[in-house]
Amino acid sequence: MRTRHLRALPALAAASLLLAGCVANTPDDGSISVTSSADACTLSATSAPSGTLTFSITNAGDQATEFYLLGADGHKVIGEAENIGPGLTRTLVVQVDPGDYVTACKPGMSGDGIRADFTVTGSGTAAGPTAAS
Amino acid sequence: MLANYLIGLREGLEAALVVTILVAYLVRTGRRSALRQVWTGLAIAVGVSLAAGAALTFGPRGLSFQAQEALGGTLSILAVGLVTWMIIWMSRTARFLKSELQGRLDGALAAGGAAVVLVTLLAVGREGLETALFLWAAAQSTGSGTDPLLGAALGLATAVALGWALYRGALKLNLAKFFAWTGLGLVVVAGGVLAYGVHDLQEAGVLPGIGSLAFDVSAAIPPDSWYGALLRGTLNFTAETTWLQAIAWLAYVLPMTWLLVRRLWPRQAPAPTRPQTEHVAA
Repeated sequence: MRTRHLRALPALAAASLLLAGCVANTPDDGSISVTSSADACTLSATSAPSGTLTFSITNAGDQATEFYLLGADGHKVIGEAENIGPGLTRTLVVQVDPGDYVTACKPGMSGDGIRADFTVTGSGTAAGPTAAS
Repeated sequence: MLANYLIGLREGLEAALVVTILVAYLVRTGRRSALRQVWTGLAIAVGVSLAAGAALTFGPRGLSFQAQEALGGTLSILAVGLVTWMIIWMSRTARFLKSELQGRLDGALAAGGAAVVLVTLLAVGREGLETALFLWAAAQSTGSGTDPLLGAALGLATAVALGWALYRGALKLNLAKFFAWTGLGLVVVAGGVLAYGVHDLQEAGVLPGIGSLAFDVSAAIPPDSWYGALLRGTLNFTAETTWLQAIAWLAYVLPMTWLLVRRLWPRQAPAPTRPQTEHVAA
């Protein structure tokens, strides 16, 4: 009996983790669209209020690409969407505190990528428990 | 289509490799009955990944990056632990095979049988959710002349085919060579998963040193080339590798290789005198 309960623990932990990390899919309102091509990384907005941000990244190039939301230092990864093949649109949902950030598209999946500054303004909404700054 | 094909191939290879070795091992040690457990683990991992991926893609709620990373990191650590256990389990069996202590061999196999489901589950499930999200995104895409979903599916199919080819080859090796090569193969796979986990933790700022690279060979091995995809899929090799990643890889692979070589190649070591009669398995 006891071992059966113990075996269920990892599953329970994973389930609660998933539930805690579930955030609303908001494709229409408030989502920032990103278009990544061979030589450009175009965002529909370069600033957003803090809280849950949704980036919808479309690969318009012919190489696989990645999209990153980086800290102001340009190294720390706040959020990343990988495996965006040509023709695909993938979503990055990330909980972000107010501050300065850097966005990057990485066509070809190597190098520093095509970078730009991104600002998150205070909205009074806490970014959520998992967004340790 | 080629780019999506290579992503599918890369995502599928590692799981195909581990499952292939597990199946070959069970067949070679006469434990075909345990194969059902492998297929059970496989079906659960694929089913749960596809269902969760679909729910997160089409449902009202998505998964935040932080949660996906926490889940992926946890599964990676568990996968390294379980594959390490599998390596030790297999090398023990190999020793018993050599000394022909059939009773103890059966004991070792029985103890491992229950964990076979878990190993398969983790090997497939670790990258399962990410692969499922990629597949569903490919299915959603409005193909512009090319078909992303076809490319992705063909890539996964190729990974399975390569696993099958490896399986056929592994059946032809003699047992000593089989254990030596599959053991080493699992060591580098597990080392790669560990290094990948370290890199993820560095990206998240949990571990330092994301900016200090041990080497950058992305010019020679582009990550979007077919050989880059193969290296990434099997060894988790990244063209841009940090020092901490490289150290973690070496710190795992060197001692494990030493352990394997000691266990599986004890050529000139004088065998301790053992009684010829078989021990009754306790």
